[in-house]
Amino acid sequence: MVADRSPKLDLVFHALAHPARRAILRQLSGGERNLSELAAPLRMTFPAATKHVRVLERAQLVRRRVEGRQHLCRLRAAPLRDAMQWTEQFRRSWEARMEALDSLLDEMKSEEQTRSRRS
Amino acid sequence: MNPRSLQISTPTDTTIVLTRTFDAPRRLVWAAMFSPDKMRRWMLPPPGWTLTVCECEPRVGGILRLAWKSEEADPVMTLHGEFTEALPHERITHTETMALGSGETIGSLLETHVFTQEGGVTTMRITQTYSSKDARDGALASGMDQGMEAGYQQLDAVLGQLV
Repeated sequence: MVADRSPKLDLVFHALAHPARRAILRQLSGGERNLSELAAPLRMTFPAATKHVRVLERAQLVRRRVEGRQHLCRLRAAPLRDAMQWTEQFRRSWEARMEALDSLLDEMKSEEQTRSRRS
Repeated sequence: MNPRSLQISTPTDTTIVLTRTFDAPRRLVWAAMFSPDKMRRWMLPPPGWTLTVCECEPRVGGILRLAWKSEEADPVMTLHGEFTEALPHERITHTETMALGSGETIGSLLETHVFTQEGGVTTMRITQTYSSKDARDGALASGMDQGMEAGYQQLDAVLGQLV
């Protein structure tokens, strides 16, 4: 197996930033498609669809193989999982702090209530 | 999505904005955020680290000083900053510079907190401003999306369908 260089997350996010490319990925989640099949529902010319598929290929989200005159595209989900984990770590560390704040604030509120009942 | 949950966005190349609501009045949120004895409760250190110094003076010119200790090779990490504006319970800004024990600086940023209250619920909005896009992205090394047009929630939606 050829060593799989991890694509730059920049490329993945750039690839996901266009609605046409997200639509292409959604179509590919149903299985392998050829380029004309991908272009048709997007009302896109073949060269335009090719351009978007190239961006997805650079991000290693799509693998393309040529069979006769057909360009067959297949989804590769691994970079998406990497991207999701990457985004999740930052969120998780902050969410953990915010949850700690939630319980601290609950304590502070009940302390205040106790104090005001006493006075 | 739960409206209470943390919202993260990157409106410009050099900023990160975090928004979260709390079921408490904003003077309590303020106290929890900036009183050293309270900060120790939520400033969760990275695994393997202990918070050893925690000083915070939330007034203009006041200092912010934190230090963490680890059993590892480079045993100390510090965060030093100064408050540059402070409107109690409403808005506060401080600088911060993270450094290693050796004195090597890891990164600097400007952090503004804005608190708004509606009924008994407080919304806290933290804006972190970095010196460059690279610095911002570096801070996000364990992070999140890079100011892409799609936005975080769209990304979530796409990933949710595909992964």
